[in-house]
Amino acid sequence: MDNNYGHPLRFGLSLRSSAPAGMAERVALAEDLGYDLVSVPDAGELDAWSVASWLAAGTGRIILSPLVSLGEHNPAVLGRAAASLDLLSGGRLELGLTLDSDSDSDAAALGEAIDVIRGIWEGEARAALRYDGEHYQLHGAAGGPRPAHRVPIVVQGADASMMHLTGQRADGWLGAEPDGNAIVDAAARAAGRDPREIRRVLEIEQSDVPSTAWAAQLLPLVIGKGVGDILLRSADPAVIRRFITEVVPALRQAADLALPGLSTAAPVRPAAALARRVAGIDYDSIPLTLAAIEPGDHDYATVHSTYMRGGSPGLVLRPHTAEQVTDAVAFARRHHEVPLGIRSGGHGISGRSTNRDGIVIDVSALDEIEVLDTERRLVRIGPGARWGEVAAALEPYDWAISSGDYGGVGVGGLATAGGIGFLGRAHGLTIDHLRAVELVLADGSRVRASASENPDLFWAVRGAGPSFGIATAFEFEAAAVPGVGWAELVFDASDTAGFLEKWGATLEATPRDTTSFITLGGARPGEPLLARFSAMVDSDDPETIISRLQPFADIAPMYQQSVQVLSYARALMPAQGEANGGSGEPHSRSGLLEHVTPEFARAAAGLLGSGASYFFQIRSTGGAASDIDPDATAYAHRSAQFSVAAMGASAERLDRGWAALEPAFAGLYLSFDTATGPDRVAAAFPPRTLERLRALKAQYDPTTLFRDNFAIRPATAPATASGSTETRAAR
Amino acid sequence: MTDYGHDLQFGVFITPTNNPAQHAVDLAVVADRAGLDLATFQDHPYQPRFLDTWTLLSYVAARTERIRLSGNVINLPLRHPALLARSAASLDLLSGGRLELALGAGGFWDAIEAMGGGRLTPGESVEALEEGIGIIRQIWHTDQPGGERAGGVHVRGRHYTVDGAKRGPAPAHDIGIWVGALKPRILRMTGRVADGWLPSLGYVEGGPAGLDALNAHIDAGADAAGRSPRAIRRLLNIQGRFQPANGGLLQGPAAQWADELTEIALNHGTSGFILASDDAATIERYAHEVAPAVREAVALARGEAAPVSPR
Ligand SMILES: Cc1cc2nc3c(=O)[nH]c(=O)nc-3n(C[C@H](O)[C@H](O)[C@H](O)COP(=O)(O)OP(=O)(O)OC[C@H]3O[C@@H](n4cnc5c(N)ncnc54)[C@H](O)[C@@H]3O)c2cc1C
Repeated sequence: MDNNYGHPLRFGLSLRSSAPAGMAERVALAEDLGYDLVSVPDAGELDAWSVASWLAAGTGRIILSPLVSLGEHNPAVLGRAAASLDLLSGGRLELGLTLDSDSDSDAAALGEAIDVIRGIWEGEARAALRYDGEHYQLHGAAGGPRPAHRVPIVVQGADASMMHLTGQRADGWLGAEPDGNAIVDAAARAAGRDPREIRRVLEIEQSDVPSTAWAAQLLPLVIGKGVGDILLRSADPAVIRRFITEVVPALRQAADLALPGLSTAAPVRPAAALARRVAGIDYDSIPLTLAAIEPGDHDYATVHSTYMRGGSPGLVLRPHTAEQVTDAVAFARRHHEVPLGIRSGGHGISGRSTNRDGIVIDVSALDEIEVLDTERRLVRIGPGARWGEVAAALEPYDWAISSGDYGGVGVGGLATAGGIGFLGRAHGLTIDHLRAVELVLADGSRVRASASENPDLFWAVRGAGPSFGIATAFEFEAAAVPGVGWAELVFDASDTAGFLEKWGATLEATPRDTTSFITLGGARPGEPLLARFSAMVDSDDPETIISRLQPFADIAPMYQQSVQVLSYARALMPAQGEANGGSGEPHSRSGLLEHVTPEFARAAAGLLGSGASYFFQIRSTGGAASDIDPDATAYAHRSAQFSVAAMGASAERLDRGWAALEPAFAGLYLSFDTATGPDRVAAAFPPRTLERLRALKAQYDPTTLFRDNFAIRPATAPATASGSTETRAAR
Repeated sequence: MTDYGHDLQFGVFITPTNNPAQHAVDLAVVADRAGLDLATFQDHPYQPRFLDTWTLLSYVAARTERIRLSGNVINLPLRHPALLARSAASLDLLSGGRLELALGAGGFWDAIEAMGGGRLTPGESVEALEEGIGIIRQIWHTDQPGGERAGGVHVRGRHYTVDGAKRGPAPAHDIGIWVGALKPRILRMTGRVADGWLPSLGYVEGGPAGLDALNAHIDAGADAAGRSPRAIRRLLNIQGRFQPANGGLLQGPAAQWADELTEIALNHGTSGFILASDDAATIERYAHEVAPAVREAVALARGEAAPVSPR
């Protein structure tokens, strides 16, 4: 397409500001009639920015394009204003920039302003932005807010310096001088850009010629001059209506005839974004049905990292249906050589649900929560739902599913691994309430697993799910939990070993309706070590609750206490902050324990004293979780009474401290451990369990497509015949 | 003991957080429906967690019907007065005459400088504000006495140079220029050129009684410029919490608030009370229980007929 830039046509109304009521009416009319955008030039009496912001509140669909004369604007303020309008309008802003006609057309200043504005849009609040331009400077300004979408910048200007600037930096050009395209295109190419990145916008006057003739007049501008947006300058409702209902359809039809496929053409990817693509990924073969985010996309900033971990994947696929998960898996199969992460809620610790230069299949959009059967309390839940959302959805029924302690954790990662939570002793693990699961397997097939359908798979998913497929739906049997006792106490744990031992013994003597976690670590030098104690009693009877908690009150001096009766949903810690703000790598160790022995308590006190762990937690488990036969699920460490986890800033220091605790452990809970390697896998799964898992892995995922979380090696040799065929096929 | 005799106004001061983006809009709508007189938002253009105040004011103008709107206060160092004048007049026209312009001389100079603004001493910033107010008034002033369209604005100031800037548009109503001020020099300037004064009670030394000394500076400034002190409305940002028992100033039941605000209005000259709140129930309670009671008590004390409640 030599003389067209491949942008589907859009039509706008160019507003001349006048009486407010008239403007609002015309814009409402334009929106009703199907105009794509409204352009608000600064040339009228009224300030374009105020008008556009005011119009945003009265419209719902139409794109707003104020054309701002840079003039005395501070570009950093303008950048925040633009982000604000984009947020308020739900992503409907396109920012037009120009210079006062009577100023000295300083395109260089406008270019700097664009840099500053984009810097504000990209910047994280923590970043101190610096810019040392001739006209504009930033000395450590905070970045942000991020607009709701990637806001295009359209430059208006007819002289050569503005065309150059457009070619170098803008997303659109409002000018369309007959020969201007050549200058814009040359400047774009010189800047390493594709001229098609720049949309050509033309403003036209209203006309009296009949509609078909009008369309015929406009056609050469589209096919010859590459105009993509046509803005009608008119204040006459009859013309506004005639243009969109008669001229535009005729023009579209003629343009599609001359340039087949124009109306459905996808925007060209900016060269700068293309440059950030990863070598091993065949981006051109991404199924069109799949939402895909790559480096350079506006949304990439919100998907590259997870809660605990920084990452820079080359591609994030976001299927919205189970069928699309199949497509995504097929794509991943063709890229076996790049890392693959599976993401639901993005709270993985062991699970590498982000990576570097790899693919992530993010099923967070599959987040439905549906009650299937109120008699049996059967609930169907998508992997992308968060446990906080699940608890809130079940609250009106007085039901709960024992989950984790934190509302932000996703269903997908937790329900395939175990689920050690505050109703653990009373109700068992999360997986113990799972009745059926639907998965997409490595070969793309969609299967259902339950006690009666694919029972082997059902066994494997409950503890080693991430090695076997991508869960697309879970069916749980919730428990009746009308209210719980919820206690938060703070103890002086200066006598750390003594405190741990007493807490452990007290806990084991407490009925199984009570589950408690203690968290220590992070004491500042000179301060006493504190232990945060939380406990849930599966009862809404105050007397029962008090009687369960009473014995704990005496184990150490207490600083704070709070005990209340509330719903399970209210007791969960609500999701806080950014779910995807992680950076770097977490270091976490897990061990499962039968009893808090004096030796263990001393070793733990030593680890805490060394400062190698800023977060050290012991959770009680057991109870109902121990009633289950170890061979019934892939999570097999059923006799454990405690789950211990420690996080440290330095992996080496943490490991050194942790080594002293190891002798006490019988296995680990994989979700709390970041280490990799065969010995860790062996600690997560006892020999009989691991052997069965490896046999099943050979059956269900012989090429080890799914390997981002305690990967199981298939029973046969790693390079099976089918595995190598698979890899060759991908080349 | 001062009462400048202005009619009473009640407003809110809403945090313009951008997450969720509609938070401030929704609360302004609540204040509008509750019959309050003013919805105001702070303006810190260097703060990335806030919405741009001008954008928000414009957006809120289209979502509200009756309530008047203002920044609280607009940061002049990062918003050029010529630009501001045009924006303000535009928004006044768009909103049907509902905009007021409360200005600040700037305070967080590190943050202003980080955004590319110039660092000024407190004295310079007051001078710049006075120049800015002059420019704003000139831009708004579109007609010569003879009815002729006035020519461009020319100002060669120490801080601003304006070379023939186009005048207009003329606002829909006489936009009040209010100044956020606490120190003598800017208070005298307020008395000299402004239409209103908007401090925050939390920063007034000595609480409500401390207002008297500050009012005196404004009055002196007005006198020196040959203006009546009554030409300057005295507004006040307040903070409070409704609670069953009296826990201090504006910490108690609505009736206690009403007594306290009445006392401030009658004895310390305040005629505009702007409550900082991000809670719909508090805003409604302020509008329904406090505002009418203060209006009534003040009217009674002034010997006026009881005011007709705006609702
Ligand atoms: C703050 C916090 C609190 C926690 N509290 C608890 C707790 O109380 N109890 C507890 O048991 N655990 C807890 N965990 C651990 C948590 O259960 C795991 O990290 C879990 O993997 C997170 O699930 P997700 O979907 O949010 O994570 P993601 O990061 O989305 O996924 C993590 C891994 O799970 C696998 N996975 C994700 N989705 C699917 C799917 N649809 N099908 C198959 N495999 C999938 C993948 O291997 C992936 O790498 C906590 C973690 C954090 C960060």
